[in-house]
Amino acid sequence: MYSLFIDTHYTDLHLALFYNDKVCEEIKIENAKHSECFILSLEQLLKKKRITIDDLSGILVVVGPGSFTGCRIGVVIAKMISYCKNIPVKALSYLQALDLEYDKEVVVGIKDKNGVYGARFSLDHVLMGDYFYLSHEEYKNYSEYIYIDGKIDLNKVYLYMKKQDAIEPHLLKPIYIKKIEVENG
Amino acid sequence: MDAYILAIESSCDETSMAIVKNGREVVSLSIATQIDIHKKYGGVVPEIASRMHTEAITYVLEDCLEKAHMKIEDMSAIAVTYAPGLTGSLMVGVEAAKILAFMYHKPLIAVNHLVGHIYANNLEEKLEYPLLALIVSGGHTELIVMEGDYQFKRLGETMDDAVGEAFDKVARVIGLSYPGGPSIEKLAKEGKHTYLLPNPVNDNTYHFSYSGLKSAVINLVHNEKQRGNEIRKADLAKSFQDVAVDELVRKVELAFKNTGIKRLVVAGGVSANQYLKEQMKKVSDQYGVKLLIPRILYCTDNAAMIGAAAYPKYLKQEFSDYSLNVSSSADIV
Repeated sequence: MYSLFIDTHYTDLHLALFYNDKVCEEIKIENAKHSECFILSLEQLLKKKRITIDDLSGILVVVGPGSFTGCRIGVVIAKMISYCKNIPVKALSYLQALDLEYDKEVVVGIKDKNGVYGARFSLDHVLMGDYFYLSHEEYKNYSEYIYIDGKIDLNKVYLYMKKQDAIEPHLLKPIYIKKIEVENG
Repeated sequence: MDAYILAIESSCDETSMAIVKNGREVVSLSIATQIDIHKKYGGVVPEIASRMHTEAITYVLEDCLEKAHMKIEDMSAIAVTYAPGLTGSLMVGVEAAKILAFMYHKPLIAVNHLVGHIYANNLEEKLEYPLLALIVSGGHTELIVMEGDYQFKRLGETMDDAVGEAFDKVARVIGLSYPGGPSIEKLAKEGKHTYLLPNPVNDNTYHFSYSGLKSAVINLVHNEKQRGNEIRKADLAKSFQDVAVDELVRKVELAFKNTGIKRLVVAGGVSANQYLKEQMKKVSDQYGVKLLIPRILYCTDNAAMIGAAAYPKYLKQEFSDYSLNVSSSADIV
């Protein structure tokens, strides 16, 4: 059976299909308008393997951190598919995916236009403490090296997530780290 | 064959889904409101609204299907509000609708929220044409002529604030809770029209203006405070409501005289206001016009009206593709 990977956390749209624990097909669109291309890309991806949504046995969705709207698009679609078709969904943070590349305790980060999202992970890839957000200034003065904007390896991501539990689709939601105005006030 | 449309509405602070049969009969309607959350901030916070929609969306779908004892497979089409409204909020509904349409191979129908408010009347009584439609909500104040299904001609609209927006802002200035419309209406019942406020646009066009009236109230409150005078809140609420509503009535009366149209539909959240209903009834009776205002449940934001408005498009097979995007300000005319 096939599993679907969904990542809309920032400006790129990344969809992939796994078969026998490996990526068998993927679509990546840089600077995508997620709302306009998501379904068309999904349709294309499934067509390539001549399958339908009903052939999926699992969904892996990146729930952030990143653009609020971007994350929501991936999350809403993932939870709708999971709920309607009764397909287990697993939530993954992009920082967690990045950390799988390092065999030691590290702080990993992703840049956006105003600063850096970061988190510390242990040797065995367990989140230590909370996710955080640094402004450019705070990042410059940060006491430790941050492994920024690495590449993720989807096959590693899949094997790692295989051991994680699925989440109730009703409860699936994005990771919001940056505070919004009313929360600061 | 009967058409069942699953409709989704998420343009502001209600996540709603409905199943509507043949554009007229509400089989089920579910609404998750966020009013209590936004109350804390004195108005709708767009980012919070989008978050709440994301959390509610599958619960609302489940509730709507359960109430109807139906499955998505039983639907003839999926309809969704794509405009106007809060972009992030609309997007949650639109993405949900698109993936449903894709998964179940159903046609997708994009519905304008304001058109939805007009077609809400079809849930009560079948619309007949020509008709005048007055749309009064937090974002809109428009007077429209309809010659037939989806045939809109705008007579006039607000040049600045919408009437519902003025209600919300005035409520805030006099210390009433959000949403302002019901708060002002409730307080106005205990008050008298004793404050002198300016008439919005005293002319013979069909245009409206509410920023002047709103500012007049703000200035009045400010000046009275500086003088150390107590504001008679109930009287101010009543004075404001009278002027705001009378302006709507005056423009509607002008349209009655000039067009000779004998049907009036009042749509949008502000049409839930009792004083407005009474005044519209009075002027309609005077001109022998048939007045249509849906019950409150269908006046405020709900997905049933979206299902009603989707039906004529369903019959004409005006479907959207999966690239459908939201728009914060799509005009109906």
